[in-house]
Parts: sequence; C-alpha cells; structure tokens
Amino acid sequence: MNLLRFVLRRLAFAVFVLFCVLTMTFVLSHLIPGNVVQAWLGKAAEQYPVLAKLYADKYHLNDPVYVQYFYYLAGMLQGNLGVSPSKGFIPVASVIAQTLPLTLQIVLLAFVICIIMGLALGILSARYHNTPVDTLIRVFYLAGYSSPPYFIGVVILVIMSLYLRILPTGGAYNPLIVSPSPVITGFPILDALLQGNFAFFENASLHLILPSLTLALVTFGVITRLARSSLLDVMQMDYIRTARSKGLDEGTVFYRHALPNAAISMITISSLVMTFLLTGSVFVEYLFSYPGIGQYAYTALQGSDYPGIMATVFVFAAIIVITNLVADVLYAYVDPEIRLG
Amino acid sequence: MMTRNKQSVIGLAIIMTFVVVAVVMEASALLGVQATPYPANPLPNQASTPLLPPSLAHPFGTDNLGRDVFSRILVATPYDFMIGFVVVGSAVLIGAFLGGLAGLRGGLLDEFLMRFTDIFFALPVLLIAMVIGAVLGGGITNMSVALMITWWPSYARLARGETLKVAHQNYIEASRLSGQRPHRILFRHVIPNISGTMLVYATLDIGTVILVYSGLTFLGLGNRPPAPDWGQMVAAYNGWVLTDPWLALIPGLVISIGVIGFSLLGDGIKDTLGIR
Repeated sequence: MNLLRFVLRRLAFAVFVLFCVLTMTFVLSHLIPGNVVQAWLGKAAEQYPVLAKLYADKYHLNDPVYVQYFYYLAGMLQGNLGVSPSKGFIPVASVIAQTLPLTLQIVLLAFVICIIMGLALGILSARYHNTPVDTLIRVFYLAGYSSPPYFIGVVILVIMSLYLRILPTGGAYNPLIVSPSPVITGFPILDALLQGNFAFFENASLHLILPSLTLALVTFGVITRLARSSLLDVMQMDYIRTARSKGLDEGTVFYRHALPNAAISMITISSLVMTFLLTGSVFVEYLFSYPGIGQYAYTALQGSDYPGIMATVFVFAAIIVITNLVADVLYAYVDPEIRLG
Repeated sequence: MMTRNKQSVIGLAIIMTFVVVAVVMEASALLGVQATPYPANPLPNQASTPLLPPSLAHPFGTDNLGRDVFSRILVATPYDFMIGFVVVGSAVLIGAFLGGLAGLRGGLLDEFLMRFTDIFFALPVLLIAMVIGAVLGGGITNMSVALMITWWPSYARLARGETLKVAHQNYIEASRLSGQRPHRILFRHVIPNISGTMLVYATLDIGTVILVYSGLTFLGLGNRPPAPDWGQMVAAYNGWVLTDPWLALIPGLVISIGVIGFSLLGDGIKDTLGIR
C-alpha cells in the first residue's frame, strides 16, 4: 500500500486509541467508591449543598452512566473538560492551556539535549568500542537511566545552585526581577523573544536549564545504547565493505554511509524518548517547582481532583499517541518495506 | 560460566545484598523483632535529635523528626525492592502464556492480542497507575495490581515474537503432526526455547519496576506515612534539600544502586547467553 493509505490507517488507529483512553479514564473515575458528587467537588460538597445540587445537575452526575458518558464525550469534543477543584474551580481547559506550554518548553529542550548527547556519545562509543572510552560512556549512561529523575535532579540542584550558585533553584522565572510579555503563541519564552523582552527571555531560560538537563540525563542512555548498537551492526554490512574497497577513508565511510542508515532506527526510539520525558516531567516539575502540566498532575492527584487527573492523563496520552503516529509515518516514509508490510 | 563476566558478578552482588536485607527485614517484621539499629517509626520520645548529618551513630543521618534514615531505608526494602520480582514475575507468567499461545495458534487470537497490546503501548505505565491510585487509593497492594495490569503486554509481545521465530522449526512441526495438543507444544517445546530472551528482558525490567514504583511512592501513592518508602522519603525530604541535602540524596542513591545492579546483571546474562 502506498504512503497515504498507511498514514490514514495509522491515523484511524491513533484516534481509536485516544477514544479508548477517554473511555478508560471515564470508567476509572466513575469507579470511585462513595458519592460521585462528593468526589468531584471535594469538601465543598458538604459545606454548600445547594452548590452541590447545581453542580450535579449541570454535569449530569446523578444520571445513568451511559448518559454521563455521552455528555462526557460531547464535552470533550467541545473542549469542556470540567472545572478543577484543586485550582479553585477554574476550568480545567484553561489550566491546561496555561501549564502545557511550560512543560513543552522543558520537554522540547530536553529532547534536543538528549538527541545531541545521545548521538555524540553513541558515535564515540561505537568508534572506540571495547576501549576504556566505551566503558566510561557506558558507566555514565547506566548511572543516568538507572537513577530516578528526582535523584539526578537533586544532585545537579545541589551542585549548580548550592555550591556553584550559577543557576536558580526553581520556578519558571523570578517575578521580582522580570515579568512575562503578553501572550502570542502561548509559550512564555517565545512570546518574550518575539516582543523583545530579553530580560524575561534570559531569566526564564536560566530557569529552564536545570529541569531540562535533569530530564535529558535520565533519558539519553536509551539513545546512546541504540546508536552504538545500530552503528556497530551497520559497520558489518556489505555496503560498508564495498565503500572501503572503493578506497574511501574510514571517516567518509563512517559519516556518509554508516551513520545515515543507523539514523533510521533513531526515529522509532524518539517516541519512546518522548514517553520517558513526559512522565519524567511530573517529578522534575515537582522538584523544581516549575508550574507545568506535570506539576498540575501531581497537585490534582494529591487533591483528588478527578477532572484534573483525567484531563492530564488524556493530554499526556494524546501527546504520546501523536508522537508515535509521527514517528511511524516518518519511518514508513524512509523505509518502503514498512508500508508494504 | 557467569563468574567470568565481571559486570554480572557486581550486579549479582548488589542484588543479593538487597535481597538478604529484604528477607531479614520481612522476617523480623513478621516475628515482631526490631532488626534495625533504631526503630523506623519511633515515638516522639524515642527519637534522636533531628537533622543530624551522617555519622558513626547514624550512618545516613536523621530526618526532621529525629528518625534514623538508615533504619527507615532498611525497613522499606522488602516493599520497594521485592515489588520488582512480584510484578515482573507475574507479567512473565501471563505474558509468556498468552504470547506463546498467540504465536503458536495465530489467527484471531493473535490479531486480537496484537491490537490489545498496541493500545497498552500508547499509554505510559505511570499515568495509568496514577489514575488507578487516585481511584482505589494508594498502598502497595493497589499499586502492585496497577503495575501488573500494565506490565504484562510487553512480555506477551516479546513471547509472541520469540515464539514465531521458534515455531517454524522442524521439531514443532513434527509435534503438531504427531497430534500434540497446542498447550503441550507450548509448555514442552516453545517455552524452554524462548526463556533465554525472556530472562534477559525480565532481569533488566525488574530494575525498571523498582524505578516506576519509587516514582509512584514519590507521588504519594505508596504506603501510608509513617511507613517508609524510598521514593516517598525523597519527596518528604524535598523541603530540606538546600540545607540538609543528604536526606533527599540518600534514598535516591539507594534506588539507583538497586536498579544498576539489575542492569549490570541483565547485560551480563545477555552477553553470556549471546542474546541481542
């Protein structure tokens, strides 16, 4: 089948998976033992019974389950995700709109650092495989991905902020010094840059470094390991032998022939990396008090904020599903065998 | 054979240390004996001075309530460490059975298993466990169940893939032709041949479970305080990270060492058995 049909099939499957996620979060949140209204409203349900009744009527919490499911889906499609008790009953959708771009800032920067570090070290360890350089790199990334993100985070926090004092300890920016620009894209750092607010840009970027670096250190090992093994595999291939026998020097053989072919397997690993980065953001944002969606997930969990929990789970799942879809399509574009399979 | 491989020896040594500690702690808990130098959950009048740095008397120092951190880490070991074995063990059993059967029989069962596991792969384990934890409440039993539910699909896929590689061999064909029932073929021929890869994967995975569970306890979904959990300790001591950093660092270091042990052992087995 050609590329278009492959894309459409994968897209349909992605939509199906998201639908399953929605259904699963709905089912789970309605398995809460006890009074549903109480669970969704928290303590306010007892103090304000009239409010509780109005809330229950508006959100159909006393209707049969299938009716609620219908309204849930309809609400989702319209962008209405309910209101969030843990954030003072403001709409969940607006909380997500405020927090998601901040997390994406961290995740995207971490992704870039991760790819650069992972590829560089993977290439190094493949080039010098079975030497002390290889072993040293292996120890480094083993320590990285075996450690929880909050441990690495604490280590570099202590080093950078406590001893070296060059980086801030937490938050997205220092409100005593700088203030953000009006919203254009929704990404505070980008907005500041576009409007010439360089003070905010610099301050916010400094605050971005520790969280992103922590995430990257925990995740780069996956890329390094894969880069190393796929490079070593590719170097055994016949076309490499051909290139060498043509008289090409080792450098050209490595960088022009081996590396591009090994890079293909990088595409599939990037969706795995995104998953790690997203789940890691929950811990990293807690540690560095960074007000992103990871911290909101944590606050919602602590506060039994069911609309918040369901919404954050759905958003995370949606990002992962989309990343998987993009990676699959890219991979199919690059490797025709996949489309035909 | 494996002692020639230095990394697996180190890994095995680390793991055995933790296992011995876990067994001793669990036995002492069942017998009602205190095996740690100080009680892990002391009453206020039994506690030592708060926030002492590491010393000979308190190897890991004391926390903000004067509890000995070393003892608390020891007491948490049976839960935080052994959960890896429990979850991966059950995932391997369920996954090997379902995946092996799907790989052997093919057809509708195979299709269904593939689609079903595809859905699971789109969802990160942590989030599902968070939702289940939010609904059912925390605690080690609920979290174990949540992790077991989300862990078996990758083993089912692995077992299916390995079974497909093995299923074309002549001895399988001969078995089938001689009238063997599929589940007999599964247990007598397929499972022994796929267990090498499954073992390597499982060993590396136990470390991952420990990491994920410590993340869940960090988020507050583990044992209720004052029962200690490594991840929960890191979260609780987060407020002192700038003044008394050892409090947050040491439990995290313990988790890292445990996971590194499994990574080393898994890689060692992989190299020894020659599995990719």
